Amino acid sequence: MPASNGAGRRLRVLLLTPDFPPAEGGIQLLLSRLVSCLEPEVEFRVLTLGQEGDEAYDREFEAEVQRVGSASGDRRLAALRLNARSLAEARSFRPDLLLSGHVVASLGAMVLRKLLRVPLVQYVHADEFRVRAKLCEAAVKSAEATIAVSEYTRQMCLDAGADPERVEVIHPGIDLPPPPSYERDPRPTLLTVATLLFRYKGHDVMVRALPLIRAKVPDARWVVVGDGPFRPALENAVRAYGVEDAVELRGRVPDSERDSWLERASVFCMPSRLPAAGLGGEGFGIVYMEAAAHGLPTIGGDVAGARDAVRDGETGLLVDPTDHLALAAAASELLADPARAREMGEAGRAWAERHAWPLVAARVEELLRRVAG
Amino acid sequence: MCGICGHTADPEARAVRAMNAAMVHRGPDDEGHWTDPEAGLSFGARRLSVIDVEGGHQPVRNEDGSVWAALNGEIYNHPRLQRLLRERGHELRSGVDTEVLVHLYEEYGEDLVHALEGMFAFAVWDAKARKLVVGRDRFGEKPLFYAPAGEGLAFASELTALAAGAELGAELDPAAVHEFFVFGYVPGPHSIVAGVRELPPGHLLTWEPGGQLAERRYWAPPAPAVESSEPLPDLVGELERLLAASVRSRLVADVPLGVFLSGGVDSTLIAALAARESSSPVKTFTVGYDVGDVDESEAARRTAAEIGSEHHELILAVEEIAARVPAVLRALDQPQADQSLPAFQAIAGFARESVTVAVGGEGADELFGGYPRYRWLARAEALHSRVPAALTGPAAKLLERGLPAGRVGRLADVARPRPATERHIDWIAGERLEKATALYGPQLRAPASLADLAAGLDSLIAPDGLSTAGRFMLLDQLHWLPGDVLAKADRASMQVSLEVRTPYLNHELAEFAASIPPELHSAGDGKVLLRTLLAQLLPKSALKRPKTAFRVPAAEWLRGPLAPVLADQVAAGRACEEGWIERAALSRALDAHLAGSADNSAALWPVLSFGLWLDRLRGRDAGV
Repeated sequence: MPASNGAGRRLRVLLLTPDFPPAEGGIQLLLSRLVSCLEPEVEFRVLTLGQEGDEAYDREFEAEVQRVGSASGDRRLAALRLNARSLAEARSFRPDLLLSGHVVASLGAMVLRKLLRVPLVQYVHADEFRVRAKLCEAAVKSAEATIAVSEYTRQMCLDAGADPERVEVIHPGIDLPPPPSYERDPRPTLLTVATLLFRYKGHDVMVRALPLIRAKVPDARWVVVGDGPFRPALENAVRAYGVEDAVELRGRVPDSERDSWLERASVFCMPSRLPAAGLGGEGFGIVYMEAAAHGLPTIGGDVAGARDAVRDGETGLLVDPTDHLALAAAASELLADPARAREMGEAGRAWAERHAWPLVAARVEELLRRVAG
Repeated sequence: MCGICGHTADPEARAVRAMNAAMVHRGPDDEGHWTDPEAGLSFGARRLSVIDVEGGHQPVRNEDGSVWAALNGEIYNHPRLQRLLRERGHELRSGVDTEVLVHLYEEYGEDLVHALEGMFAFAVWDAKARKLVVGRDRFGEKPLFYAPAGEGLAFASELTALAAGAELGAELDPAAVHEFFVFGYVPGPHSIVAGVRELPPGHLLTWEPGGQLAERRYWAPPAPAVESSEPLPDLVGELERLLAASVRSRLVADVPLGVFLSGGVDSTLIAALAARESSSPVKTFTVGYDVGDVDESEAARRTAAEIGSEHHELILAVEEIAARVPAVLRALDQPQADQSLPAFQAIAGFARESVTVAVGGEGADELFGGYPRYRWLARAEALHSRVPAALTGPAAKLLERGLPAGRVGRLADVARPRPATERHIDWIAGERLEKATALYGPQLRAPASLADLAAGLDSLIAPDGLSTAGRFMLLDQLHWLPGDVLAKADRASMQVSLEVRTPYLNHELAEFAASIPPELHSAGDGKVLLRTLLAQLLPKSALKRPKTAFRVPAAEWLRGPLAPVLADQVAAGRACEEGWIERAALSRALDAHLAGSADNSAALWPVLSFGLWLDRLRGRDAGV
């Protein structure tokens, strides 16, 4: 069945994804905002996994959402059910194009693509290349187009054998907060916002850098927003260095409080490194962009997606994320020079404005229409 | 680079020259000293040239001579620090690691320690602020003793050197002597000589004229984590990243370098990584014996063949023991009862014939849960938290009667209700606790009780929220590791001017290890992460590696070549003369041992070490 997409007809896109709100997460947010922005010009149907609170969410959502299985149980089984169900969903919806939001959904999408001769667009983020290398390889080789969230992710696609012509980098979008006031707390404050779930986020290197930062900026403090299983180990490390009085572990906080820290802090700092396996890590690092949107200069690891999210020397600084000396030097430099920090914060805001959702969604739409032909 | 000293009231550098002279073995290649004429303070250093052999004279100064420094040890990240300092406009004149200290001090003040990765004891004199900063590495690899000298301060890498330059009293601290016989070493921060302190690992000491001496902790091993959610392959991946980087940094030297290979997991893993990181075959060194049933040389030979190293094997023959052991024990600055110390000295001397630096596996057991004790202490605690003492007490008594002593006898001890820390001390002291204290003379008549010693150990750790295994892993890192393992490695290797480097003792690696629950580390045969990584690197040789402590045939040596030395101690040793050891009791213990009716090595060895050490301190030539 050839995809007919005559002028004036709405493009029909079947989005297959295991990750979708109301659960929180980068991929969930990215896909839901994309759909919201493109509706009603593009007609979406979303097939995803069931989860707590989904009914209320789906009622309010702009597009039709179908749920199968449960996101909270056995993840492999759920993925299998999602892929199996995609066939029936495609038959009833008759899409012009398949959008696979995560490689976990690509198995069904690849079958559908052959069966129904509908083009497939695959979204790739980063970590899946570590966890599902073979599936990623198959998906990016067969899809008509792949959207990589960063140059880093694009390179992983090419390394997996994708056709360079078919891989496009489109950074994730953000919802712009109101323009920042640039009025910061008098106390020099480094801020990290990240779940304490992954070693690679670099909280350990931050603790190691802190005494050297304090040697240069004695009243500096580090505020950590986010919680997770690494919290006790982080607390122990803070005690090992005797820097308890310079660290505030805020845990998980409401969005409003998080935004307030983004308004008040001096520098956003998250020295994410590559995980030990050498793949994965920050696909893009949307939180760098969110910090920039609040006018914060950002410090990131000079690896992976952070290279796209932070413009080194312009919106912030990129450092070797395993080198606490480099991190300490960058952080003290920005804390000690508020004028430079503000300059970077303003450049960051401008950089973030270029990533406002309407602009990003328009780029995705352009790609979807091109592929649908 | 290997021995430092200083004295704050030494305008003609007499004291530091005397102290330097007492440390020639630590640094035979060069000697230096310097005096601040205005302050009357002097520094000295003896040097074993390892990095920048030609340009490394000490002490060193900054651009304008306002900051001076001396260093004992190695700062492994000094190439990185040199880059950082040059970027910031500092003028470095040499390639030697000591020089980074003065410039780092200009950048960070005392917090410069947080920029250092390595094993070190250093002193920095800030002439403008008239402030002395002395620092010691995080794990206690390099020693530093100090004592008040009038209104000032004297310090040195070894107690014996300090005695040569500072007017120390000759009085021993009975509490420290007792702790020596319990633990087998003199635990810091006290020393065996009254009034002398050892700067604890991870601490800074500052002194200003007219001001107070201040000790400050800058780092401690993090308390072990309680839970973890990471899959084992991820943890092993992170271990490999950190350990390989640590090995790499410890292979940098301008002199020949080798690896100590015992055949156990720790040294095999280091040797395998060193072989992978080196472009030429690494040299490996192993020691074996010609008496007793202790020999790991076969396992080491197999590993050497598998990694393709240039392997060297020393057989420490029984004929050598009569001369070597007393000489080694006499030369120590504090007594050490670890029976493997002379063998360590022998293998170090053997390696020194072809290399100046050797890499070893120290610290792996303490950081990665290698000792079975952790599991057994946890089992005992679990038992007593569930079963009341009214039941376990009688059960323990029955077991004690029914089970032979030794490993199986441990079951009886597990059943016995008692505080965990007392059980821990009892287990590490083993037979020494009972047999050595039975020889005490009048000087040691009122020693601290087991409960008192346990309270002392408990005060080192904050037990709140820690599991049993976690508590004792942490305690070992603070007490046993610096007191026994590292003091042994430093003194034994320094006697023969060999530098020992320890890749496991890297603070990033230690912080990583602490972020993983001890129960995960010590499961199965222990050191789960190290074993798993080794199985990936050397699948063949990782099949079965029993836990192998560095053991020596001490009982045989004491019955043979060392018997006359002990007989001399009974006859005229100062330990008996001064009333530390009861002559008649020692005589009986020795006779029983020689007759073969008992194995009293646990008591005789520490007496030998203490007696020989004391004789030297008192100027008695034992004539053996």
